[in-house]
Amino acid sequence: MSSVNTTAKKKPSTAETKLKAFHEEETLGKAVDGKLLRRLWPFVRPHSRFIVMSLSVLVLVTAANLVRPILMGDVVKSATSANSGRLFLDGLALSGIVVVVQLLTFVQMYTMQIAGARSMADLREHVFSFLQRLELRYFDRTPVGRLVTRATNDVDAVSELFASGVLNALGDLFSLVGIVVMMLLLDVRLSFFAFCCLPVVGLVVNYVRKRSRAAYRDIRTKTARLNAFLNEQVSGIAVVQAYAREDDASREFDEVNDQYRAANKTAIYYEAVLDAAIEMVSTVCVAGILYWGGLNHVGDHAVSFPLIVTFTQYIRQFFEPVSLLAQRYTVLQAAMSGSERIFQLLDEKEVLADADAATNGDLRDVEEAIALDHVSFAYKPTAPVLKDVSLTVKRGEKIALVGATGAGKTTVASLVLRLYDISEGQVRVFGKDVREYERGALRENFSVVPQDVFLFAGTVLSNIGMTDQTPDRDKAIAALKKIGALEMFMKRPGGIEARVDERGANFSAGEKQLLAFARALYRDAPIVILDEATASIDSDTEAKLQAALQAVMEGRTAIVIAHRLSTIRAVDRVAVFHKGRVAESGTHDDLLAHNGIYARLYRLQFAHEKAKGTPLAPSVRPVEIAPKSA
Amino acid sequence: MKRHAPAYVAGAIVLGVFQGSMNRIDWLSKTAIDGIFTGHPDSVKRAVLLILLLAVVALVSRVASRWYIFNAGRDVEYELRALLLARLHKLGAAFYRTMSAGEIMSRASGDLLQVRLLAGFGILNMINVVFAFASALQVMAKISPKLTLISLVTFPALILVTRTFSKSLFTRTRENQQALGRLSDVLQTNLSGVRVVRSFALEARELERFREVNRSYLDASLALARLRGSMGPIVGATSSVGVLAFFWYGASMLLKGPANGGLSAGDFFAFWMALGRMSWPIIALGFALAIVQRGRAGYSRLKEVFDAVPEVIDAPTTKLDHVKGSLAVTGLSFSYGDHQVLSDVSFSVNDGHSIAIVGRTGSGKSTLALLLSRLLPTPRGTVAIDGIDVCDLPLAQVRANIGYAQQDAFLFSTTAARNVGYALNDPDSEESMIRVKRAAEEAQILTEIGDLPEQFDTVVGERGVQLSGGQKQRIALARALIREPKILVLDDPMSAVDARTEAAILEAIEKQKKSRTVVLITHRIQAAKRCDRIVVLDEGKVVETGTHAELLALGGIYRAFSDEQSAEQDLQSFDEEEAVVA
Repeated sequence: MSSVNTTAKKKPSTAETKLKAFHEEETLGKAVDGKLLRRLWPFVRPHSRFIVMSLSVLVLVTAANLVRPILMGDVVKSATSANSGRLFLDGLALSGIVVVVQLLTFVQMYTMQIAGARSMADLREHVFSFLQRLELRYFDRTPVGRLVTRATNDVDAVSELFASGVLNALGDLFSLVGIVVMMLLLDVRLSFFAFCCLPVVGLVVNYVRKRSRAAYRDIRTKTARLNAFLNEQVSGIAVVQAYAREDDASREFDEVNDQYRAANKTAIYYEAVLDAAIEMVSTVCVAGILYWGGLNHVGDHAVSFPLIVTFTQYIRQFFEPVSLLAQRYTVLQAAMSGSERIFQLLDEKEVLADADAATNGDLRDVEEAIALDHVSFAYKPTAPVLKDVSLTVKRGEKIALVGATGAGKTTVASLVLRLYDISEGQVRVFGKDVREYERGALRENFSVVPQDVFLFAGTVLSNIGMTDQTPDRDKAIAALKKIGALEMFMKRPGGIEARVDERGANFSAGEKQLLAFARALYRDAPIVILDEATASIDSDTEAKLQAALQAVMEGRTAIVIAHRLSTIRAVDRVAVFHKGRVAESGTHDDLLAHNGIYARLYRLQFAHEKAKGTPLAPSVRPVEIAPKSA
Repeated sequence: MKRHAPAYVAGAIVLGVFQGSMNRIDWLSKTAIDGIFTGHPDSVKRAVLLILLLAVVALVSRVASRWYIFNAGRDVEYELRALLLARLHKLGAAFYRTMSAGEIMSRASGDLLQVRLLAGFGILNMINVVFAFASALQVMAKISPKLTLISLVTFPALILVTRTFSKSLFTRTRENQQALGRLSDVLQTNLSGVRVVRSFALEARELERFREVNRSYLDASLALARLRGSMGPIVGATSSVGVLAFFWYGASMLLKGPANGGLSAGDFFAFWMALGRMSWPIIALGFALAIVQRGRAGYSRLKEVFDAVPEVIDAPTTKLDHVKGSLAVTGLSFSYGDHQVLSDVSFSVNDGHSIAIVGRTGSGKSTLALLLSRLLPTPRGTVAIDGIDVCDLPLAQVRANIGYAQQDAFLFSTTAARNVGYALNDPDSEESMIRVKRAAEEAQILTEIGDLPEQFDTVVGERGVQLSGGQKQRIALARALIREPKILVLDDPMSAVDARTEAAILEAIEKQKKSRTVVLITHRIQAAKRCDRIVVLDEGKVVETGTHAELLALGGIYRAFSDEQSAEQDLQSFDEEEAVVA
C-alpha cells in the first residue's frame, strides 16, 4: 500500500518539477464548484429535457425499488397462507417489477447519457471553434498536446459526470431515505437493530475514500504517462539505441510502471475491503434481525417470517449505492478539475477580433494590390521585428523580398494575411484595410506556398483541392500538369488518389513543395505569397520547382520571399529587408545602378561565375549589366 | 505467470475458505430461523454468534483472495510491460518496418490489458465459480434437489447472455476508442497546421471535419452506452425467471411444511440466500469465459513482439581499452530485402581526421550512417574501429564512441535541457547544465532556446512546444556533441537550416574536427569541402574519392554538384555580407 516516491531524492530539480507539471497536470480540487457548474450549464441546457426525463424516470425506479422487498414478503406471506392463486399473482408481480425496474433503469441511464454526450459534443465543438479564433501568438508558446487534451481528455472527464451516473447519486439519496422510512414504518425496533451497524459502514467508506483517492488519481495519470513514454521510445528508437540509453530508459519506465502497479494494488486493496466490509455488514444486519426475531418470538412482538425476508432485501439494497460512493467522489473531482482547465482555456483573452466594420464595397479595381503603410510590429514587446515599413505592390507586379534571417520578410507575409495584428500603421489589400475585411474574405485573395509545407492526411487530390469541399479532380490534374509534376505524382500507386500520411510523412521535401505549388494554382487566387524553402533539394526537383514557380506567378500579383538568385531574377522588383526596415527597393537594374547592398551581392555573384567559367542554371536570364568596380 | 503460481494457489485456498464460510452462514441462518419458528431461542443465539464470527472470516478471506490474485495479475502486467520495452530496445529497423508504432502501441495497451484481465479477473472468477457452485449447491441440493433444478433452469442462458454481451462490449469499446483517436488526430493536425489553416482560410472546412469526427465519437459512445445499459434488463429478465420459478415452487413447498416433504422457513431462507450467492459468479463466469479467450489472443499478439529476433546481437569477443577513433569501411554491401542500397563501399579515415560522404537523395548515405554504429545489422568484417571489427566489440562501446545525429531529428517530449543532455547520466546537476549550455552554444541553438517560453525548461517534442525543423536539427546536433564521442557521424545536419545558421554550424563542426574523427554526411558542397577527404556516393557505389580540389579538377559528379549549388551559395554570402555592411 505504501506508494512512497521511489525516487526519494532530497529535492526535485526544476526540470523534474516542470516535467511533473507537464505530464501530470491533474490536481484534484473541490468536488463541487458552483461557479464551474454554472458555466457548464449553457452547454447542457439545450439537452436538459433529457435530464428532466431521466430524473423523472429515476423517481419511478426508486419508488419501484422500494416496493420490491414488500412484494417479496408478500410472496412468502401468500405462500404461508395457503392461497396458491394469490401466490402465483404475487410471484408474477415480483418478476414483473424486477424487469420493469431494469427497463426503466436503462431508459434513465440512457437519457442521461444522451444529455451528457450531446452537451459534451457541443462543448468540444465550442472548444474547437474557440481554438480557431485564438491568436497565433498563443500557439507559439503553448504545447499542442496540451490543447488536444482540453478537447479530448478533459471533456471526457466532465462527461463521466453523466456516464458513470454521478447525477444518479440524487436517486441514491432518495432511495436511502426511502428505505429507512419504509423500514421504520414496518417495524421500528427491528430497524434499530438493522441500523446499529450503519456507523461502522460510514467509517469504512470514509476511511477508504480518503485513502483510495490518491490511488485513483495516480492510476489516471500514470496510464497516460506509460503509454506516452512507450510510444516515444518506439518513435525514437534509433536515438535511444544510438545513444545507448536503453538501461536509463528502462529505469525511468520502471519507475512509472512500478508506481502504476502500486497505485493499482492500493486500489485493489481498498475496493476489496469496501466490498467485503459492506457484504459483512449486510450479513451482520441479517444476523441482528434474526437475533431480534429470536428474542421476540413470543407474544405480540413476534416477528413474522415474511418481514425478515423484506428486511433482508431492504438492507441489501441499502448498501448497494454506498459501495459506489468513493469512486463517484473521485469522478466528480476529476470532472471539476477537467472543466476548470477547459474554462481556463476559454478565458484566454488573445482572441482575434473580426472586422470592425465590414465595408462591402468591391475595391478590386484599385491599382494597388498590397500596401504596407508605416507598419511597425513585434511578436514580443521587447523585440520589434518591423520598424516603420512602407511598401506597395501594384496589381500584377511580382516582388521579391530578400534579406537575412530575422530581417522581417516572413513577417510581412503574415501581416498581409492578418495572421497577426499590427501595432502601428496600416496594411491594405486592394486598397482596403485588412482589419475591415471579414477574415475568410481577406484570405480568399491569397494562395500561400509556405516554407514548411503542411500536408493533411488524405490523398494527393484532397491536399491539392483542400479549399474545396469536394476537390475537382480535373482542376487538380491541370494544376499538376502546369507545374510539370503530373507524371511524377501519377507514378505513385493510386495516382492522384495516392495516400498522404499524417503531415505528409511519406513525401519528400521536394514533393511536398511541388504539391504546395499545385495547391496554389488550384486555388487560383489573385495574389500569390511564396516563402521559398531554404532546405536544399536535389537538382532534378530543384529544376522542377523553378518551372513551377514561374507557372504559379504567371498573371498574378506575387510576393516571393526569395533565397535563390534565379528566383530573384524572375521577378519585377526586389525589396531588400534589413533589420526590420526596407533598406533598398527597386528593379534589378535600378538596384544595381544604386550600387548598394544588392549591387555588392551581384558583383560577388558575377565574379564568382566568371572565375568558374560555367553558365548558371538555364532558368536564369542572361546578365544584362556589366559590373562596376567598387 | 508461472512464477506467480504460489499467489494463485494461496488465492484459491482463501477463495475456498470464503465460499466455505458463506456455506456455513446459510446453514446457520436456517438453524436460526427454524429456531425462531419452532421455539428454540437458545439455538438462535448460538447461531447468530457463529454467523458474526463467520462474517469476519468471510471478510478477511474475501479481501485476501482479491489481494493475492488481482495483485498477481498486476504483477504479470508489470513484468510483461517491462519485458516489452526491453524487447523493443533490442529490436532493430527490420522489425520496426514490419510493425508500425500504432500497432506496437495497441499491443502494449490493448493486448496487455486483456492479458492482465485474464491473469486477474479471469482466473479469480474461474476459481471462484467452482467453489461458489460447490458451496451453494451443497445447501440447495441438500434442502431440495428438485427445487434446485427448477431454480437453476435459466443459468445456462445467463452464462451465454453475459458471454455474448462481454464480447460485443469489447468490440464497442474498441470502436469508441478508435473514434476518440480519430477525433484527437483531426485536432492534433489542425493545431500543428494552424498557420496553413489560417492562411488558406480553411476554418470552415476544418470545423466541418471536426464536426464529422465529433459526431461519430458521439454515436460510438452512445452505442456503447446502449449496450451497457441493455445488459441490466436482459440479465435481470433472464435471472428473474429463475427467481420466479424458485418463489413459485419454493413457496408451494413451504406451504406443505417439512413434515410432508416440503420446506421449513429456515430451509426456504437458506435456499434463497444460497441462490442469491450464485447469480454473481454465474454472470462473472460469462465475462470470464470471454476474457480468457481475448486474453489468450492478446498474449499471442504480444508473443509476436517477444519472439521477434533482434538483427543486431551484442556478442563481444574483444574490447578496446582506449578508442582512438580511426574508422575503416571495407567492401560494405547492404540491401533492404531485394532493394540493394549499398554495394561494395570502401573508405577509411584516420583518427582526428574528417571525411564527407556526398551524394544525392537516395544514394544510400543515411543507410551508411546507420551501419557505422550498428543501428542496422552491419555485415561482419565490413566496418572497423581502430582496426577491430565493430561486430566483435561490445555494442555499448561502439555506440558510446560513435556519436550520431540523425537527419530527421527526433526529440523527446521532455525539457530542452534534457533533450540536449540526453546522453548524460545526471542531466539535472549543475555541472551537466554547464555542459548542456556549452553544447547548445556550439550547435548554434543557445539563443533560440533562450527565446522559448521557459528557456531550457520548455517541454519540446511531439507533444511539447513546436520547434522548426532547423531548430530540432540543431538540438539533435547539440545532443550528439555533448557526448564528446571519438567518432562523430552527422547525417545532413543542415538540411533544414537557413544559410546563416548553416555557416554557424559549419564553424561548430570545424571545432569538432580538432578533437575527433568526423564523418559528415551531406549534399552540401559548402560543408563537404571543409573535410579532409570526400567520398561521393551514387546509387550505392563509391564513384569518386579525393579532396575538394581534386574532385573539382576531376570534373565528375562532384563538380556538377558544386556548380548546381553555386547560386545558393552566393545568396548565403550575400546574407553574410549584408550582416557585415550593417
